[in-house]
Amino acid sequence: MILTQILIALLTGGVIAWAAENHRANTGRWISLLAILFSFGLLAEFSMDNPQLFHQYLRLANVEWISAFNIYYATGIDSLSFILIALTLVLGVICVLVSWQEITDKVGFYYFNLMASIAGIVGVFIATDLFLFFFFWEVMLLPMTALIAIWGHENRIYAATKFFIFTQVSSLLMLIGIIALAFIHQQQTGSLSFDYFTLKQMAINPEVEFYIMLGFFIAFAVKLPSFPVHTWLPDAHTQAPTAGSVLLAGVLLKTGAYGLIRFVLDMFPQASSDFANVAVVLGVISILYGAKLAFAQTDFKRLVAYSSISHMGFVMLALFSFQQISYHGAILTIVAHGLSSAALFSMAGMLYQRLHSRDLSAMGGMFSSAPRMGGMLLAFVAAAFGLPGLLNFVGEFMVLTGSFKTYPLHVIFASLGLIGSAIYGMYLFQQSFQGEAKHSITDLGKRELLICGSLLGLLICLGLFPELIFAHFPEQYIATVNETAVIGVNLTEASASELVSSHIASTNAVGSK
Amino acid sequence: MSSLELLAILPQLVLSLAIVLQLLLIAIRRSTLMIQAFTAISIVLAASAHFLVLPAINTQSTVLFYLDGFSLAISALVLFCAFIVCLVSGRYLKVSQEVHDEYYVLLLLVTLGASLLAISNHFASVFLGLELLSIALIGMVGYLRNRRQTLEASFKYLILSATASSILLFGMAMIYAYSGNLNFHHISNSFLAVNNPQMQLLFNVGSVLFIVGLAFKLSLAPFHMWTPDVYQGAPAPVSMLLATVSKTAIFAVLIKFWFFSVQYVSPNGEHQLLNVISFVAIASMLVGNILALQQTNIKRLLAYSSIAHMGYLLIILNVMSHESLQMAWESGLFYLLAYCLATLLIFTFICQTSKANNEQDNDNWQHWNGLFWRSPAQAAAMIFALLSLAGIPLTAGFIGKFYIISTAVNNDAWWLLASLVVGSGIGLYYYLRIIFTLFAKADNQHLIKLNRLSHAVIVCLSITILIFGILPDVISEEVRFFALSKFG
Repeated sequence: MILTQILIALLTGGVIAWAAENHRANTGRWISLLAILFSFGLLAEFSMDNPQLFHQYLRLANVEWISAFNIYYATGIDSLSFILIALTLVLGVICVLVSWQEITDKVGFYYFNLMASIAGIVGVFIATDLFLFFFFWEVMLLPMTALIAIWGHENRIYAATKFFIFTQVSSLLMLIGIIALAFIHQQQTGSLSFDYFTLKQMAINPEVEFYIMLGFFIAFAVKLPSFPVHTWLPDAHTQAPTAGSVLLAGVLLKTGAYGLIRFVLDMFPQASSDFANVAVVLGVISILYGAKLAFAQTDFKRLVAYSSISHMGFVMLALFSFQQISYHGAILTIVAHGLSSAALFSMAGMLYQRLHSRDLSAMGGMFSSAPRMGGMLLAFVAAAFGLPGLLNFVGEFMVLTGSFKTYPLHVIFASLGLIGSAIYGMYLFQQSFQGEAKHSITDLGKRELLICGSLLGLLICLGLFPELIFAHFPEQYIATVNETAVIGVNLTEASASELVSSHIASTNAVGSK
Repeated sequence: MSSLELLAILPQLVLSLAIVLQLLLIAIRRSTLMIQAFTAISIVLAASAHFLVLPAINTQSTVLFYLDGFSLAISALVLFCAFIVCLVSGRYLKVSQEVHDEYYVLLLLVTLGASLLAISNHFASVFLGLELLSIALIGMVGYLRNRRQTLEASFKYLILSATASSILLFGMAMIYAYSGNLNFHHISNSFLAVNNPQMQLLFNVGSVLFIVGLAFKLSLAPFHMWTPDVYQGAPAPVSMLLATVSKTAIFAVLIKFWFFSVQYVSPNGEHQLLNVISFVAIASMLVGNILALQQTNIKRLLAYSSIAHMGYLLIILNVMSHESLQMAWESGLFYLLAYCLATLLIFTFICQTSKANNEQDNDNWQHWNGLFWRSPAQAAAMIFALLSLAGIPLTAGFIGKFYIISTAVNNDAWWLLASLVVGSGIGLYYYLRIIFTLFAKADNQHLIKLNRLSHAVIVCLSITILIFGILPDVISEEVRFFALSKFG
């Protein structure tokens, strides 16, 4: 039940923050911070106690929820979920810190939405019942939409509406896919099931499987976001408040990648390998197109937003090339992009607070007045274009190396994206901090230094020792994903249930302790 | 007539008796408050009679009525909606010394008509129920005679309702010519006896006319033209009645007619009638949602969105196998329930912010600017209702949509599903606009004050919507029971 505890901690934290803020100003942010740190502590303790647990995707809780449809409240975790939850919580802390002074209006409700959104995202990463997954998938969007629509910038209503409609309509396709899977299960065995592990082992007619896969794929591609369904992203990013952008870029986009790995690749191996060509081409187009458009922007946040499209294209390319190295690379890229885009958006927020503008043409020459800030921005830009020594480099390098084996031509084009990212990265830095001094601004404060420093520290640390992440992905687990995709090897039913029961025993031990 | 048969129609008997007593009451003493209380109490009595009726489930009561679980549930839902309407009408009408006793008589007549429709299983009782419902409603639509739009609305409703009734009658006559029986159950039986292509044609044409008649009353596209004007012109509580009670009851007739009579008529892949229904469904989903986009008047907007919702509901008629029938019954019941809850909530709010003596109701939703910051509880309730109509999780509407998609997937209705996705995508846009208006920075600071009663109604309804959305198990057992009892 540890995962549920994290969820509850986050949600109650949000509610208490809302209530407390109304009674006494400036308490909401502290409560939110404490709640996130507390959840992080829970997660850390859990992983210390059960280090062997994450190698296999396992169900932790299974409570009957909607008996009419045989739906369970079922949660589970493995290394992938673990890393993404950890990333979510780390960025959650960053989100609270960047909102510290930025939000002055309706503060209590703001922190409630922030916490609810974080809780929803954590829920997405832990659900093993497809209905529950869909439930969280939708629920995390509501507070996010509220964040954009209430605390966003000038064009916020338009951006929030676009964001919500894009994600809702695409996820409706996924819902149809989920229901279709459940009914196919009913036709085969006589009872409905929404359980991930059960449905994964079901044999489906290849043609039907392809269409169901497509439903899932579209939902995740919109979230990733991939060309041509990316148009919501620049608007949403630009209009969202800083914490909203951080959360969107840092983890919300990752739910798309997570869905691709967990559901599309794992549940429909045959259909996804049939579809791989299209997906890889979409990935390459996203890389080049995102980089090209990023360069054409004059708005700081818009530039970073388009660069996200470019970076997530690498993830798409990596996942659909079915190579172990590129799969590793995809995970690293997910984490790296989470950290570096969060950092860049935080920077954008700090600049906005000082200049009240995100317009690059109005900036310039700020290095002399704010050297620390300039240095940080240079470091993050360098991370984004893949400077060796930082995590992004390792991720993208592995993606390209791994995919070269299956898609050499595509990789050649994709690597042009690296040049593109160097160009727009330098353009971003030059426009804002180099050249003729147009503004004189205050340098980073302590809190801001903490935000940037910790993100940079993580990027360098993980960049030098990517093993810290790999250690959670032992060879055989990655190989399973790989082989499932190509050959279709699965864990046998017996060994899975054995693992589950041994695991439940161990969690009970943890609980009673 | 056995006592069981009498028991089966007990709620309807209670209502009829109440109407007679109402008339006597008016003759003795005229007081709005008294007659409102009397009406509310008699609805509650009729509703509680449903518990007594349970043993009589699956009873044929005279040739006209057949009580099964589905009818019972629909009848209870109708009474629930009528009860809420009765509660909120009081404050809306209280503007002068005028005594509004005829309003409540009409209200009970509408309720009785709807409740009769729910249990009717025979063309004669369907027609009687429909006319009782429609004619009383015409009176209510035109009730506030000083308003300009009211006259137009009631005329429109009168003429179209009469047209629909005659089309309906013509259809019934054709089906009678084919089957020689007016009872739903027997129509499909006679199909097995008559196997003549010409007679088959007669039946199909008759059914199409019957469905068109009902489509007029349900305001399905392309027979929807009257709806927005009538919704807008009618007093708010009457629009509420129209949107919930009348739609629920008429849809129940449609679904019963379809599943009892038509479903088995063409078992070997002839689906001409289904094509008609699918066309109407797709047209309703798209037309309703697209036309709702431009509305600034909440009553008109709800009218268009109700067209779309009835379109979604039609999806469940597309049932290809006997096994998925039960699912379809369940879906219909749950979706109607979710739709009624959300509609009641929004209309309650409109009723309570409007007064009968104003030129028109307070129905411009742009006036709700920043409501969330002034009265969070009411605004939150409205948001849940809107999300429920949009079919977003946490709300009953989502589970309703889940039911409908399940039925559609189970029966391979891919085109219908496609238009459901497109339709709800469009729908999201206008629901979101209203929600964002509620969250907007408030420029008008005047507080919208609701009295305690309607505040309580709104809060209770929103909690119910949430409970059915998060824990549908609390009700799905009952829904399943009522749907199952179809098969005896």
